[in-house]
Amino acid sequence: MMFAQDPLYAGDWLGDALIAGLKVLVAFAFLLVAVMLNIWFLRKVISDFQNRIGPNTAGRWGILQSLADGIKLFFKEDLIPENSDRFAFKLAPYLSLVPAFLVFAIIPIGGDFNGDDGDGVVSIFGHDTLLQVADPPVGVLWFLAMSSLAIYGVMLAGWSSGSKYPLIGSVRASAQMVSYEAALGLALASVLLVSGTLSTHAMVIDQSGEGPAFLGIENILPAWYLLPVGIVPFVVFIIAGTAELNHPPFDLVEAEQEIVGGFHTEYSSIRFALFFLAEFMNQITMGALLVTLFLGGPNGPAFFFPEGWWIGVFWFFVKLMGFLFLLVWVRATLPRFRYDQLMDFGWKLLIPLSLGWFILLAFIQVGRDEAWSTAQFVGLGVGLAAVFLALAGMLTLAIRNARNERIEEMEDAHG
Amino acid sequence: MLGQYLPLLMLFGLAVLFAAGSFIASGLLAPRNPTYAKRAAYECGIVPTKETPERFPVKFFLVAMIFIVFDIEIIFFYPYALAYGSLGVFGLAMIMVFTFAVFESFVYLISNGALEWGPLKQVARPSGAVSPERTAESTIRRVGLENRPIAEETAA
Repeated sequence: MMFAQDPLYAGDWLGDALIAGLKVLVAFAFLLVAVMLNIWFLRKVISDFQNRIGPNTAGRWGILQSLADGIKLFFKEDLIPENSDRFAFKLAPYLSLVPAFLVFAIIPIGGDFNGDDGDGVVSIFGHDTLLQVADPPVGVLWFLAMSSLAIYGVMLAGWSSGSKYPLIGSVRASAQMVSYEAALGLALASVLLVSGTLSTHAMVIDQSGEGPAFLGIENILPAWYLLPVGIVPFVVFIIAGTAELNHPPFDLVEAEQEIVGGFHTEYSSIRFALFFLAEFMNQITMGALLVTLFLGGPNGPAFFFPEGWWIGVFWFFVKLMGFLFLLVWVRATLPRFRYDQLMDFGWKLLIPLSLGWFILLAFIQVGRDEAWSTAQFVGLGVGLAAVFLALAGMLTLAIRNARNERIEEMEDAHG
Repeated sequence: MLGQYLPLLMLFGLAVLFAAGSFIASGLLAPRNPTYAKRAAYECGIVPTKETPERFPVKFFLVAMIFIVFDIEIIFFYPYALAYGSLGVFGLAMIMVFTFAVFESFVYLISNGALEWGPLKQVARPSGAVSPERTAESTIRRVGLENRPIAEETAA
């Protein structure tokens, strides 16, 4: 009995370990280069938005600017504040950077998923393997675990600095990340309802091929989860993901007008660089996860089916670039949230919305499985809608009540 | 199955090595002459006189506690999302009851003001500073214009 053994790792264990090592090295190098280019991309695009040139000296089109910045930071003095907790202060960059590397391991970045036997398996030196570092059975739970761990990095960095602004920044950051993680997790639950699996690889296989017919035309819609899951979890995921990344308009963590640099105010030299590396790496990973969960991962549009593993890599990067551009666009366009707006938005809108959507989706899925008749669907649907309305009314009432109580309190205090 | 965790372990090792290597390289390359001012807490140039407060608003603790409620909800959602097919209508009804219970406590928390932040709008406490009688004419004193003709009059 082949228990607890992956078929991809059967047989020649040394060769498989070497292949795994090769994939790890490639992913590692890819992430570092991708972060370099991501920072350059951000600076170039944002300078276009602001009608200026941006970096243009280091290398062609300034493409080596981030590398130059990184090398410069190696030569900068590394300061540890006097009243800091030295151990936690040194530990925090690890806690931030290592999870950032590890999350990317579950992302399938390529492979041929076309046709019935398209399972994304590629052959490297005669070994069958997947174009992703690892496909653990816990799948996307790995992402949630690692992004929760990364909060410790931010929290410890601010707390251990022994300084006011970092402390405020880190407390804000953890409250924000924790709040939006709830919304993110609920949006993810909707995807799991449709996928029925946690493994990212199985999700991508499930999203290959043709989707449902649209207006009677076959072969035009892809089988991406965006269609069965719906737009709400997708949008919630983008918003909550942006907030998880502490990216504008949710960058209260490092709101420089209020709290200097936020949690990494006291960090200098390479410690500071590692925090930045982690931040930009997380942007790439979040985009890659969004592509995997909603946009079919390496699967191209339904009507476009050439052969080969590279086409998967191509589509994956096209979609990833789309997300990264969206991030820069948002950064260039939207002003920063106020903290109370941020909390209200996350708790009082995104969480109830994704919660309701999850129940709705479960209702539809179960109805389809049980082969309910249209009459049953309509009858139960009306009941569900009534419950939703009642609950939404309850929530609105609660919000208004809390507000009125505060107003009364304030009037009592001020006369 | 467990074989899939081997690359994760490798990547973990590589990432830790990378971070540690960076610190070692920085330690070798960077200058090192800390002074008192450099090592003091950064407060935009002001010499810090007080210890950093170890206390911060209790609201943040509340958020962390409410998050636990929701995290538990999510934890129960995931197995349901993966197994709803075999649970059928019974499972759907149960998850709805469970969600209702959690949502009810959430509404209770909100109603008690556990998630109230920041300032209220000015509507809440109308102050004398905002009034239609106050205009730029009445509030701004023009300095240096005494006994001088106003621009419009000279133009006319």
